[in-house]
Amino acid sequence: MLSEGLQATEPGGFLLIRDTACYSGRRLLKYYINCALKRGEAVHVLGFEVPEHELCAELDRNYLHLFHYHNAYTDPLGWTKQSSFTVKHFSATEITRLVQETQQATASVLVIDSLSWVVRHHDTVAVCQELQKLRKGGSVRMIFGLLHTDLHQQGIVGTVSHLASTVISVTPVNNARYAVAKISQRKKSGKVMQKEEFFSLTEDLTLSIETKPNQSGNVETDLHTKSEVDPMSNLTFNLRLSEVEREAKEKVALPFVFSEEKKSALLRPGRGSGRIMYEPDANDDIDEEDPDDDLDV
Amino acid sequence: MFAELNSILNTSPDDVTQREFILLSDRKADASFLLHHFLSFYLKAGCKVCFVGLVQSFSHYNAVAQRLGVNLVQAREKGQLVFVEALKASAAVMLNESSSDVAQLFDYLRSPVPELRALFEFVCASLSQAEAEADSSSPPVLIVDDLSVLLSLGVSVRAVLDFTHYCQAAICSRLQGSVVTLVRCDDEDDDDEDDDESSSRLLRALTHQCTLSLSVKGLQTGYCRDIHGQVEIWWRGTGENVQSQRKIFQYKVYDKGASFFAPGTSSAVL
Amino acid sequence: MAAPMESATKGIRLSGSATSFQKKSRSKLIQIPGTKPSVHTGQLIISTGVPSLDCALGGGLAVGSLLLIEEDESDSYSRALLQYFLAEGVMSGHELFVASAQDHPDDIVKDLPSPLQDEDPEFKTVSSSNLDQQDAMKIAWRYQNLPKVQTVLSSSSRFGHYYDLSKHMEQDLLQNAKIHTFYLHEEQTAPTHLSGVLGPYSVLLQSIQLLIKQNGFDGSNSQVKTCNVLRLALHSLGSALWGDNVCVSPAHNHAMLTFLYALRALLRSSLSVAMVTVPTHLIRNKLIRGRMIRLCDTAIALQSFSDAERNNNPLYKDYHGLLHVIQVPRLNCLGCEVPDTKDLAFRLKRKQFTIERMYLPPDLSDSVSRVSKVQRTPVCTSDGNKHLDF
Repeated sequence: MLSEGLQATEPGGFLLIRDTACYSGRRLLKYYINCALKRGEAVHVLGFEVPEHELCAELDRNYLHLFHYHNAYTDPLGWTKQSSFTVKHFSATEITRLVQETQQATASVLVIDSLSWVVRHHDTVAVCQELQKLRKGGSVRMIFGLLHTDLHQQGIVGTVSHLASTVISVTPVNNARYAVAKISQRKKSGKVMQKEEFFSLTEDLTLSIETKPNQSGNVETDLHTKSEVDPMSNLTFNLRLSEVEREAKEKVALPFVFSEEKKSALLRPGRGSGRIMYEPDANDDIDEEDPDDDLDV
Repeated sequence: MFAELNSILNTSPDDVTQREFILLSDRKADASFLLHHFLSFYLKAGCKVCFVGLVQSFSHYNAVAQRLGVNLVQAREKGQLVFVEALKASAAVMLNESSSDVAQLFDYLRSPVPELRALFEFVCASLSQAEAEADSSSPPVLIVDDLSVLLSLGVSVRAVLDFTHYCQAAICSRLQGSVVTLVRCDDEDDDDEDDDESSSRLLRALTHQCTLSLSVKGLQTGYCRDIHGQVEIWWRGTGENVQSQRKIFQYKVYDKGASFFAPGTSSAVL
Repeated sequence: MAAPMESATKGIRLSGSATSFQKKSRSKLIQIPGTKPSVHTGQLIISTGVPSLDCALGGGLAVGSLLLIEEDESDSYSRALLQYFLAEGVMSGHELFVASAQDHPDDIVKDLPSPLQDEDPEFKTVSSSNLDQQDAMKIAWRYQNLPKVQTVLSSSSRFGHYYDLSKHMEQDLLQNAKIHTFYLHEEQTAPTHLSGVLGPYSVLLQSIQLLIKQNGFDGSNSQVKTCNVLRLALHSLGSALWGDNVCVSPAHNHAMLTFLYALRALLRSSLSVAMVTVPTHLIRNKLIRGRMIRLCDTAIALQSFSDAERNNNPLYKDYHGLLHVIQVPRLNCLGCEVPDTKDLAFRLKRKQFTIERMYLPPDLSDSVSRVSKVQRTPVCTSDGNKHLDF
């Protein structure tokens, strides 16, 4: 499902990768860039966080002519007046213009690295509206965004995620060699698919997905269950019962287990309050002077 | 400069890693000893260093550097070190006693919506100049002590992040140099989910940005005379093919250095 | 008796031996009464007025540094420390600056404790009690030669004076002292040219700066030759009476932080020491407390046992409160003097305030339940080997 993230989405899709400081989602983003390039799609990157050479270092050399890096890394705020694209230019019209300047392929993909930068400098509501305009505008087939969830308040993360058609949250496992991706994909039909996958990305951006181990979805617990030894296996005495033995056991009447009649008799409601009835008989030796029979008279 | 730390980080003054963004941080401990390490390390390596001292006076840094075998006064006279005495200048700016060009450098103290653009431009100019002069064999370095003070002075986390981003773009990417910053967390725990202006928010954002993180913590078991805390070294594995890797050491600071050892192997324990 | 003292001096000598040479010759240049070079860093230090507190802080307060005291809830002990600090200044001939928004500074000065003329009461009590014990050991005679545990923090060299809290300082002593006062309600409103970031503290900062400049504490005024130390005591900074809303507002950046930063800068470039008390328990935004501590050099917190819960706890019956050393400065050196323990408690005797290592009193009750340390669930390793080996 992780590998299908790209193909399966309808036009106007918005895939959001959410990460934290513990595990960077940028490599997964690079993987998707690489996939898009290999399919012959033009990739436009709004690069705020990472310089161009770092981003395209591991990409497929043969397709680099389709890769367009819009440098917002060197000068995102226009302090040094070096860059053409600043964070202030983040609007649907501006981005459409950028994409169309170099329109050569059939479809183009927009990558925003990262949305955290944009959200930090713009009102979240405005960012969401611009993203929506881009999706409807038709100039880009898909939008990929990276969001560092630990830098924003819950509400902001939720708002942006709500907009996305696919949300992938990555968290590290096993000392960051593997990661878990929680994918939730929302189809146009309204169908929502959720899945958890283990994956690792090698140096040359090949994705290997491990089979999903069990429902709890955690490698540690998985290892734990495997190593679990049956405590009844090596016993010197017998703890198991065969069917016959079980039947025999169930037949045994246990003490203080009453028959149905007796039970119902006991459970029948009594006459209001409890009362002690006692009639002394001949054996009850009542001494008038010492009713309690404890004086040594 | 602590030789032990150099061997852990696998560097030496003769072999300086370029384009590093080193983040030093502490919580319930004091990481300033690491800052002094990097100052003396880069000066010994012959790098041009710009040091923004927001916390202490020049004489303090100089006194410590002398114990580590580096003379800051000489380095400053040689032009190897550009020292921004931000502590002294800030008070002057607040009391309206400084000349206009200094005041402009610290305009974040006065403006209602503080921005660190002037400071960045100064840092960048002083380090770019170095590159023009010298043969660029040794990379320029920016060291800031410490960024969390800026938060106390009313600068927003966003403005600090803009500053560090520009420094990274200019120094690490353009000039092939390095940046070292210190962030001190002042909150008790990191459970301030909804606090935008806390220093742990700043720390997390910088962790995304950095290539190497050294975070110092006090011992969980409390105060100890022989083990001053633990430091987690985290190679973030961004950029070139470096695997992300974390190691934890315990440390003790001495008068003229510090020793690092694996947890539980302090000489006081064994 | 001699044993603990000896070990104390030895310890100091050992740790200071690496650097003591050059520093001593340098310190000869400045001779100011009431100061001495620190054995650890060679820095000029002064006494807080409470010798045991000096000890807890690694010798004393470095000139040019800022001490933050987090007030106890009733501000009684922190106020006592402030007065000790000022009294020590009077006895050492330092100049004083007292700022307050609550009580008039003159009232604070008037109540300063009187110095004890007979030397070192702590020393005395310890030695006399030791003599008594010499022949008292009959059954536990094996312990006879063990040194008596000294709980009161003290160093071998005399530094600072002892004071009697029950008496006020004589008038002639006070008259000779140079005391500057700052009472917020008597000051005129803030001059307009100061930047607004300092808020209600701009007048205070300006008068401190003026004082430092005019009296030559920063060495700039060539007419004033006398070399002296200025002690600044700022009482209850951040309280509502200063016109500060830090206790009620949840905002992050605050005028008080900016003021502390500016004060730190002023102190660094002059021969002055500041003691600031702050009612941190009232501050609404807890982040501010941490930032304040970072901006100061030394930080201690007083926690009194005045609340009933602690007062009844037999553990604390000997003490009046806990003293937390939150931050010790690292000035001019990498490390700082590291104390043996951080479990410190203070008690306010009739006459004096002392800080001691906290020891638990012996539990003499019969009903002591000794909980056996049986580990209920032996922790098994999950490596498949389930055979427990004992």
